[in-house]
Amino acid sequence: MSAVDYPVDEDEQTLLERIQDEPGPALKLLAVVVPLFAVEFGAVASLVMSLPWSAVGSALPGFLQGLAGALAGVGDALANLPTLLSRSVIDNSGYQLPSGEWVGTTLGLSPAVAWLLRVLLVYAYGFAWMAVGWWVYLVYRDNYRYADWAPVDDMVNRFRNHSWGLLGLAIIFAFVVLALFAPALGPTTVEANISDPYLHTVEYFDEEAGSVQEIYVGDANRDSQSRGQGGDNVGPLSYDQFGRFHPFGTLPSGKDLFTFMAAGARVSLFIGVLSLLIAGGIAVTFALATAYYKGLVDLGVVIASDSIQSLPQLLFIMLASFVLSGTWLANLYSGGVVLALLFGFTGWPGLWRAVRGPALQVSEREWIDAAKSFGQRPSVTMRKHMLPYVVGYLLIYASLTLGGVIIGVAGLSFLGLGINAPTPEWGRAVSAGQPYVPTQSWHISLIPGIMVVIVVTGFNALGDGIRDAIDPQSDVGTGQQDESAAAGGGA
Amino acid sequence: MSRWSYFARRVLLMIPIVFFGTTITFLVLRMGPMDPAAAVIAGAGDTEAYESVRQSLGLDQPLWLQYVEYLRDLFTLQLGYSWVVNRGRPVWELIGVYAPRTIWLGFWAVMLPLFIGLPLGFYAGLNPNTLSDYLASFGGIVWRAMPNFWLAVILVSVLTQSDQLFGFDWESWLVQTQIVTPPELQRLWVPSNFLAAFKAILPAALVLGSASMGNEMRIGRTAVLETVNENYVETARAKGVPRRTIISKHVFRNALIPLVPIITGEAFLLLGGSVLVETVFSINGLGYLFYSATINADLPLVGSLMFFFILLSVGINILQDLLYTLIDPRVGYGGEGA
Repeated sequence: MSAVDYPVDEDEQTLLERIQDEPGPALKLLAVVVPLFAVEFGAVASLVMSLPWSAVGSALPGFLQGLAGALAGVGDALANLPTLLSRSVIDNSGYQLPSGEWVGTTLGLSPAVAWLLRVLLVYAYGFAWMAVGWWVYLVYRDNYRYADWAPVDDMVNRFRNHSWGLLGLAIIFAFVVLALFAPALGPTTVEANISDPYLHTVEYFDEEAGSVQEIYVGDANRDSQSRGQGGDNVGPLSYDQFGRFHPFGTLPSGKDLFTFMAAGARVSLFIGVLSLLIAGGIAVTFALATAYYKGLVDLGVVIASDSIQSLPQLLFIMLASFVLSGTWLANLYSGGVVLALLFGFTGWPGLWRAVRGPALQVSEREWIDAAKSFGQRPSVTMRKHMLPYVVGYLLIYASLTLGGVIIGVAGLSFLGLGINAPTPEWGRAVSAGQPYVPTQSWHISLIPGIMVVIVVTGFNALGDGIRDAIDPQSDVGTGQQDESAAAGGGA
Repeated sequence: MSRWSYFARRVLLMIPIVFFGTTITFLVLRMGPMDPAAAVIAGAGDTEAYESVRQSLGLDQPLWLQYVEYLRDLFTLQLGYSWVVNRGRPVWELIGVYAPRTIWLGFWAVMLPLFIGLPLGFYAGLNPNTLSDYLASFGGIVWRAMPNFWLAVILVSVLTQSDQLFGFDWESWLVQTQIVTPPELQRLWVPSNFLAAFKAILPAALVLGSASMGNEMRIGRTAVLETVNENYVETARAKGVPRRTIISKHVFRNALIPLVPIITGEAFLLLGGSVLVETVFSINGLGYLFYSATINADLPLVGSLMFFFILLSVGINILQDLLYTLIDPRVGYGGEGA
């Protein structure tokens, strides 16, 4: 940080110094954040320990390996700490005796109630973090920020009064919690119910034998199938004959649909966020560069982006994922990484088109001219003086694009492409339930579809809200970008 | 810059775009990890067949020469032959068979939203903040968020069971048609043939156009709301021009301008989206042909089809610019409009 770049910074305190001057509010905040984090610390630790550390460890030189081994031991111990939101805190797996009493579940509650309590607890925890996030912003704004007022404050205030946008935010937050806490939310787990049903067992009370029996989950699934008219059916909010509760019913294979959906939400969110990071990164870099340099650079990016857009996105992704199907890349995260890369590299032109206008606008301002004549490096000018203006617009289209990517991925897996079975993906559930829509097993196709509609509507609403918050007078919304962003290549 | 030289510049820009788009396809097909010849003979394990496929695809030549020949063939519109899906048939012939169905589907998928979504949007815009406005707007938002393939699945099931569900049989209504078959497109000028073809495509077109319908409604509503408050509308009203004339002459006409890029943009999206709708409704169109060519590893056919799609999309872009040039003389053609 040279003095040339920041001549006014010399008398400015750093954030840390400002907190040291007035530690009260920050300490209060800390007093809430630490316990909130501590109850889930074990989950974070086990997430850290689930990374492939052994590969790192063996690459270390000899004298460090002992140290690494000790660290790994500590890490494993931490990972095994009990956490608030683990499945065992409120256990919903058990069996029912003929007397109606439930054995094995927490406090002898029925599995439905136990599951519901756990869901409520997880969501309460999630929304507590959201409230803390809002509080952090308030504390920072009122106590520690250098400026009394920033344009962001007005945007936040406008967004707070935008009920449609807030609804969108709530839906998206609920979706993100579903994805993040998928293993704790499902009535059972993906491993036990979907991927390795013959490595797990379930206990139930057999009326004929008059005793408690143990059965493989795979065998139990065969008796809890949903196969429409005349066949078996386990609908939403019902029990199968093994005392297992299915909030969304079961798939035609007898697997639990809610567990499938929660895990599928994780896959969708992962692909959406990763592809957006790629597309957004490229789009912003290009938008800033083209707005700053204009001329030939601009023309070059126009041609590059138009060339990519001339390929029908969904068909191109279909082709590219087929061509890449035999490679190591296609096995990462069951094919999710490939899809994210493809959606990212084919999606940036849309985002770039959307932020190009605002970037050009800001590049015409006097302060950019001033920064140039001042001798500031172009990269610094772009980052400090242009980027903040562009980021808001990027958020609008990012929100719309995420909805589009979710639809696109679901469409591809509906066709049996993209995510490899048995990794859950929403589109595959729609496809599995296709023959049963008009029958009593309607839930298999309808519930995933309705979830997609709700989530995508949420992303669209959030985008609308951000747009109105950033620029209430603008009509940038009535454009082509919007709709192609939200359409997911027409899936 | 005059309007027409702007238009000419846009058309010129399309040349490098076709070129680069084709190059990307070449990179994926020939330099990607998959050997097109091996994909074609898939599993046969016959080295002789493999060599002959390699030779006729020109894979034994150096890469740069392959690239030159690939471009030369496509730019002279020699699209080659299908290798797996329909062995030995020229790609042009396949396009001739499959394209009319997609065009018929796409045409109605553009027209239906125009005739349903737009009037609804205009109506909502003329009666803002009423119950019907809210209903229409909310419906549009939800309609827009529905995945096409899901909507198609639901619609197919509902229509095939319409007798049990509503006591009304869709298949025999007006004319006898089937739901999951390609439409008959022979002799469309005969009214009964036209009606049958229209009825056969109607569900699929409604699904494919669903996103557009929601969009056009939303945008039509905003456009009307904005135009109604313009000064020239106020002036006309002050002069005592009847409301009906104001709406038809001053409001609607200007509200249509922002819709041009929307409609052409949709036409392009339909191309990609048609693959799912065509699969669910078993309409053997271009999207379905591309899909089956891909999963059957008919890479030469895939490459040619992709080139055809690039040409189509560039054509749609030129059409959009042409419409813009004709309709709206006010569009700025300054330096930034590239």
